[in-house]
Amino acid sequence: MSETKSGPVTAALAGSPALGAKFEAFRSAAHDALGEEMVAHIRRAISEVHGVDAPVPMGEAPEIMLAYARRMPFEHTAITDEEAAAVLAELGEEKFVAFSVVAALFDAECRAEKVDLAGLSS
Amino acid sequence: MSTTPRVSSAIAGEPAHFGSVLAHQPAIASAFTDLYAAFWSSDVLAARLKEVARMRNARVTECGFCRNVRFDKALGEGLGEEIVDDIDWGYETSDKLSDAEKAVLKFTDALIHDPELLTGDAQAALKRHLSPEQIAELGLGLTLFLALAKALITMGLEPEVMGRTVLPTPAPAEMA
Repeated sequence: MSETKSGPVTAALAGSPALGAKFEAFRSAAHDALGEEMVAHIRRAISEVHGVDAPVPMGEAPEIMLAYARRMPFEHTAITDEEAAAVLAELGEEKFVAFSVVAALFDAECRAEKVDLAGLSS
Repeated sequence: MSTTPRVSSAIAGEPAHFGSVLAHQPAIASAFTDLYAAFWSSDVLAARLKEVARMRNARVTECGFCRNVRFDKALGEGLGEEIVDDIDWGYETSDKLSDAEKAVLKFTDALIHDPELLTGDAQAALKRHLSPEQIAELGLGLTLFLALAKALITMGLEPEVMGRTVLPTPAPAEMA
């Protein structure tokens, strides 16, 4: 997935502009809460698990957060209280909430890309 | 899987639940509520088909909260518990689920679990029963169901005990 904005779900909703705009507003709100640089790192970490292309992000992100993000696609029920507490301590509560939404949403978007949701919807 | 909240409530006097935890991020909460209401109030794809997909997602992701919630619009469209019971492994042989519902379930499994399940036959069945616009709406729903379930689980917001709970279907504020 090469674009920060847009993505397979937004593309699939091209014929439903009202829903597409609301989805993009939700996605943007989540991204804005975390900052695009951190979002790019999360995207890259999750994309690698799914085998989906993603641009190399700028700068650095806490490895503890990226390791947690890599668990989201296939191991979300196995994340321990200790792992969550470590990321929470790193990010603080407000950003941990945004991080949880961004990571879960990006996992779902990768999956939508892998079934070619946009192609099926055109 | 933890049933102990990993994040506190951002609303004074309320326990930690999805809404009170998401309140730490009001812009995200507001945009999600607006989107989810618009999604459920759209009749491009029947609420019954959306709920079939949501129930399947609840089982596959092991989201106990999602699994116990029922939206009343789908109930009104005839999605009773005897049908929901069949949204389990082996749903392909159910005599209670329609062919359209089985096509939706197969696509659900492919998107949230394994894309290899979307074989040529599965894709043809989906396109036979759903228009491109309906597939887009289903895809949006699955994206939200999956993300919501995983965010809820990883923030430790799974209930320890929860019975079946019928809720009003999310609707835009001016319609509620």
